[in-house]
Amino acid sequence: MAQLVLFDAFNGLVVGAFYALMALGLSLILNLSGVINFAHGGFLAVAAYLAYTLIPRLGFWGGLVVAPLLTAGLGLLVERFLIRRLYGRDPLYSLLLTFGLAYVFEDGTRVLWGAQALPYPVPPSLSTPVSATLFFLTGYRVFMVLLVAAAVTALFLVLARTRLGIRIRAGTQDLETVSVLGINVRVLRNLNFGLGVYLAGLAGVLAAGMLGLEPTIGSSLIMPSFVAIIVGGLGSLPGTLLGGLLIGVASGVTTVFFPSATEAVIYVMMAAVLLVRPHGLLGDAARIR
Amino acid sequence: MAHHPRIPKLTRRALMKAAAAAAAWQLAPRGLTRALAAEPVRVGFDDTLTGTYAANGQNTLVGCQLAVEQINASGGLLGRPVELVVEDSTSGDAGTAVQKARKLIDRDHVSFLIGNVNSALSLAIGQVTNEKGIVHVVPGGHTDAITGSSCHWNVFRVCNTTQMEAAAVASELIKIGKRWYYITPDYAFGHTLQDGLQKEAQKLGGVTAGADLTPLGTTDYSSYLIKAQAANPEVILFLVQGADMINALKQAVQFGLEKRFHLAGSQQELEALEGLPPEARVGTWVFEWYWKQPDVPHLAEFVATIRKKTGKVPTARTWQGFASVWSCALAARAAKSLEGVQVAKAMEGLKLPPEVGLMPDPPFYRPGDHQLMPTLYVGQAQATGSDPEDLFHVARYLKGPEIAASVEQTGCKLTWPHA
Repeated sequence: MAQLVLFDAFNGLVVGAFYALMALGLSLILNLSGVINFAHGGFLAVAAYLAYTLIPRLGFWGGLVVAPLLTAGLGLLVERFLIRRLYGRDPLYSLLLTFGLAYVFEDGTRVLWGAQALPYPVPPSLSTPVSATLFFLTGYRVFMVLLVAAAVTALFLVLARTRLGIRIRAGTQDLETVSVLGINVRVLRNLNFGLGVYLAGLAGVLAAGMLGLEPTIGSSLIMPSFVAIIVGGLGSLPGTLLGGLLIGVASGVTTVFFPSATEAVIYVMMAAVLLVRPHGLLGDAARIR
Repeated sequence: MAHHPRIPKLTRRALMKAAAAAAAWQLAPRGLTRALAAEPVRVGFDDTLTGTYAANGQNTLVGCQLAVEQINASGGLLGRPVELVVEDSTSGDAGTAVQKARKLIDRDHVSFLIGNVNSALSLAIGQVTNEKGIVHVVPGGHTDAITGSSCHWNVFRVCNTTQMEAAAVASELIKIGKRWYYITPDYAFGHTLQDGLQKEAQKLGGVTAGADLTPLGTTDYSSYLIKAQAANPEVILFLVQGADMINALKQAVQFGLEKRFHLAGSQQELEALEGLPPEARVGTWVFEWYWKQPDVPHLAEFVATIRKKTGKVPTARTWQGFASVWSCALAARAAKSLEGVQVAKAMEGLKLPPEVGLMPDPPFYRPGDHQLMPTLYVGQAQATGSDPEDLFHVARYLKGPEIAASVEQTGCKLTWPHA
């Protein structure tokens, strides 16, 4: 029993790392632009399908590099021509827009690639377990955790060290002042949206290797990411990372005791956090208005 | 009050009038068009074209469309052409499915209704068609109640019951091992299927090593798989369906579980096997229909026609749609009528002819509960067979009447309307 709990907790960390990757992109966009991007799952699906199409030409690794970049490009266009018009309005407007976009992406992939699930190839070097005891640690999952760790480190370095990152962080604190200081807020929000969508794209390509690639792949993965943000706290990227890992572990350990509640437990956790600490574990209390 | 010329404002009253007018237009019988001589006989299609079961619903639709083409080419129905009216029920919203059924019946005046892949939606639509007295064929919703405790005089079912699928696979699996672990979807279909399998296993001396109910739409099965292997069963049964089946099997094979346990289940579909990488096409399963069967007349022709239309071989879902629409036409031709009770009476006991049945024994609708008695195909999934789309090896052909529980056991009591 103890081993089972340990295994499921450990495995939960692996799954949680994936949730965190999706949630970080969502969090970036939410923090700077106040947009709850319901189309995040849609971007994820588009990236996965693009990678599927690119693999015969570029191979698995080529698809992993190129597809998220193409999706980020799509994200820049969506922000420039659609989402930008709704800044400063009630958040409901952008919520409705992205909600609609999620459906457009889902049905778009259905029209272009068909409703039937597609077999997504993973290189043989990654598709076997690393050890016989820890059979749930396949090469692919280890690779995924490493990639998430690298992406998170890179993201935090960009935010901490580069001019763009410093501006994004400053904008998250006080966009008006940043604008007054002569920084082009439009460009800043555009690039930030693209960066968030890039992370969704990366998550999409990774997900396709573990799940069946079908049009609803994004919508089935989006909810845990929202929960991760709320548990971790609005406005805090480390919080989002922590939230993702926590719900992964909670969901995994619940399997041992109450298997049909693995989905419910993350919402129970969210409710508990909201009751005890409404701004989330590491969140910015000032954002709760 | 100043009288400026202004754009009239939409008042609440005007809005309500508009809404009422729109509603009246929707419900108004189309008297004029119906008076025309060659008014087509309409068949309503209310099935899952979007969402989780989109692939299944769309394949069902292809089969329905082919049947309509063939019926029209053979002189139509009672001298009139047949027309398919297609609606998307969504994959899980019973409200939408029911609303579409009402629209098809009240506004399009369909004579027959086909639907649904989802068991719960099939039951909900069945309530509406029963109330309206429309003959309703369920192509692919499996839960026992449809032709059991919730059966109706006007509802017929083409696909198997969960009980039939459980009984078909159990005798095969018991030869492999006695300790079974279930990974079951947490809704009506999964519960009845697991229950059926456990009953069969008990009869044959099998035991339950463990069972996990998993939420519908689970993406990550790793924690369940960790638990399953710890219980050390001989067979792990995957009762999940659609995308869930693909996710669960793909992850099980990535973990190498197929080398340590026998992976199996009850219902398996070509749609799911095609979505899996070749190495994950493993296990013992039941198919409801298969495109490769030796010595079945008209089968090659059917496969070739569907391949020409879609570029892919027909799946069980394609055949179910095809058989559903043809069943309505055959019964109406026999009854020489489109009236609900007369058509339903003609469909009772109706034996599907070889060009529609496409099975070794002609399937027929059992009179007591309106359940089709088909052949069941037990065998193993395979990476590739003689054809890139030959992903299932049929080991045994089982006869439906020998597998199905008796009408008394299903709990179905048909109540016919007073003539």
